[in-house]
Amino acid sequence: MTTRRVALALAALAACADDPATAPAGGDTTVLDRTSNAYSRPAPNLRADDLARHLAGDVAFEATFVRGPAPVNAGLGPLYNHNACAACHGKDGRGLPQFGGAASQALVRVSLPDGTPELPGAPIPVPGLGGQLQDHAVFGIPAEVGVALAWTETTGSYADGTAYALRAPALTLTYPDGRALEPTIMRSLRQAPAVFGAGLLEAIPDATLEAAADPDDRDGDGISGRPNRVWDVDAGAVRIGRFGHKAGNPSLVQQTAAAYANDMGVTSRRFGGEVEVDDARVEATAFYTATLGVPARAPGDVADGEARFAEFGCAACHTPTQRSGPHPIAALADQQFQPYTDLLLHDLGLDLADGRPEFRADGREWRTPPLWGLGLVATVLPGASYLHDGRARTVAEAILWHGGEAEAARERFRTAPADQRAALLRFLSAL
Amino acid sequence: MIVDFADRVVIPTYALLDDRAAALHAAAMTLRAAPSPARLRAAQDAWVATRVPWEQSEGFLFGPVSAQGFDPAMDSWPVDRTDLEAVLASSDALTATYIRNLPETQKGFHAIEYLLFGEARDRDADDLDARELAYLTGLTLELTAVTAALEASWTTGAPPYRDVFTTAGAAGNTAYPSLDAAAQEILVGMSGICDEVANGKIADPYDAHDPNLVESQYSYNSRLDFADNLRSVENAYTGDVPAAGTTGRGLDEVVRAVDPALDTRLRAELADAIAKIQAIPDPFRDAITTPAAYPAIEAAQAAIRTVQTTIDGDLAEAVR
Repeated sequence: MTTRRVALALAALAACADDPATAPAGGDTTVLDRTSNAYSRPAPNLRADDLARHLAGDVAFEATFVRGPAPVNAGLGPLYNHNACAACHGKDGRGLPQFGGAASQALVRVSLPDGTPELPGAPIPVPGLGGQLQDHAVFGIPAEVGVALAWTETTGSYADGTAYALRAPALTLTYPDGRALEPTIMRSLRQAPAVFGAGLLEAIPDATLEAAADPDDRDGDGISGRPNRVWDVDAGAVRIGRFGHKAGNPSLVQQTAAAYANDMGVTSRRFGGEVEVDDARVEATAFYTATLGVPARAPGDVADGEARFAEFGCAACHTPTQRSGPHPIAALADQQFQPYTDLLLHDLGLDLADGRPEFRADGREWRTPPLWGLGLVATVLPGASYLHDGRARTVAEAILWHGGEAEAARERFRTAPADQRAALLRFLSAL
Repeated sequence: MIVDFADRVVIPTYALLDDRAAALHAAAMTLRAAPSPARLRAAQDAWVATRVPWEQSEGFLFGPVSAQGFDPAMDSWPVDRTDLEAVLASSDALTATYIRNLPETQKGFHAIEYLLFGEARDRDADDLDARELAYLTGLTLELTAVTAALEASWTTGAPPYRDVFTTAGAAGNTAYPSLDAAAQEILVGMSGICDEVANGKIADPYDAHDPNLVESQYSYNSRLDFADNLRSVENAYTGDVPAAGTTGRGLDEVVRAVDPALDTRLRAELADAIAKIQAIPDPFRDAITTPAAYPAIEAAQAAIRTVQTTIDGDLAEAVR
């Protein structure tokens, strides 16, 4: 009797493994939690020693840095955006697009059109400012710039006449002496993305991303994704970029070390030279984000909306299912999961363009963000918003901002009957 | 039950926090006007009293308290002593705006604690100079602004978070699409603070035997912080907040209907955990380096983990 039940269960698993509606969102890393804590659970399939590393990394991710000398967590600044990983990635989710004092959870990247990069192919740093504006500084040192963010509203309507409003960001960047930042400086507003599930994204084989790329749109579907190719400081070579809104970092460790240096002014062997955090702590933090579980989809039937997701063309870039290859963390290897991303760069049109290239990504391209956990955004972070700069107050607004390669899909959404639009949004809120 | 959780537990706890922060500010102003040992003691007592509702709110750290940064604005650790001393040594005018714009690590509970208690509960009233007292009252005033904003985020925000939570399951509620989602939020908060106390607040400094990692180390208030975290769990479970004088319908009613023995057991486990925390030799920051105290520390951790196991297992099952 017992044997039979096990066999039936296995058969059921086998039957649903290819169906995103029933397959676990994060493979064996999936967690059953739809609360504000949903992004903060360790993957349940971690080995005991890996769970211990995860929990140590959790402490590092939460750690608040202060100016040295100090008995613990010294090294903040002198220039910084915030003082802890968790200050912008609260509850391991996204941040709010806001600036000012301790409320800042977003940042502005800057670069010049011409010059010499610090890493091969990287954005050209601005003399005196580098590649990122730090709007905070330790006592006695002026912040690089003051950042003020305002929004300008526009209106539009669905094909059925229903009106909607969109808002676009308007940045005011001011030096301490009151001068405005030179207009020749390219700038890109970014809000902090969620960090869970990142290990599975790292474990997707390069070959998978290469195979999905179609830079010249040879299949004629209007979608021409391509991987970013970025400098890997550990390998000393060009690798596929995966992390960041333009996939500017090849690995979680590099993404993490760069964030310590640029966002908190905490330098390490990889970035900044002086060792304010050692490799072990950087790697512990990266390990933590790599091994956070992925929340399971909400219960309920959203098959209709899921069908629209495919029919409208969303799935052309937001690839529902991916499979990981080998990975040093056993829990991440050989998993099938539903991130809804191809990790490739796509032209999203002029309205979303930042005009600031990053390695191979041009000023109109963004890396497809994963959509898993999307339905929990408002639970984890009340008031949260969407897209790279948080301009979209709702998921519907986010869809309506899509242009470029995604224009046809957006138009299918915009011109669809209200019940179909609602069905799509119900599906997305179940992720 | 969900409505009572918001109206009889969360909001009264935040209201009490705001009241006590106001009393702390008044005590700090009194101290500043004419420092004396009695006035310092009164301000210290007011600080300890303000910690009570804050620690009793840590069993429900969801919603605006985290999203809007109220938690770090009040409770950042460590204190940035280097820059705090630099501010004191400067001639900067300590206006309310200036204080507001300081990093969280130079204000909030623990910066106030440092000023009121010194490094090891050794502050004398005549230690504090005029500038330190001005900084102190600036910090206590700013704390009242944060506690007021936190309470308002649940009662008058746009929308009040009370309305988001209590309309769980209503059409269009994207944060809590079902009543069960809201119940799970309460359970996860209760479980999470047990985990945080046993495996974070106690374990991190104890495992490293490092007093620098201890919460509320300047005031020697750590044990009371931990005990009030467990009372937060108790309040969430019972729907009552004894410190605020409120009662309401809690999860306990649900549990008594399906498994009265579980209700009795969970209450006993909570009482035991609080007793075991209070049995750790004071101050906690010395206990973590005193081998004779280790059994008491580990007994407290074990008792808290027992509570967490019951919440995650039998209580979650009963509520479902």
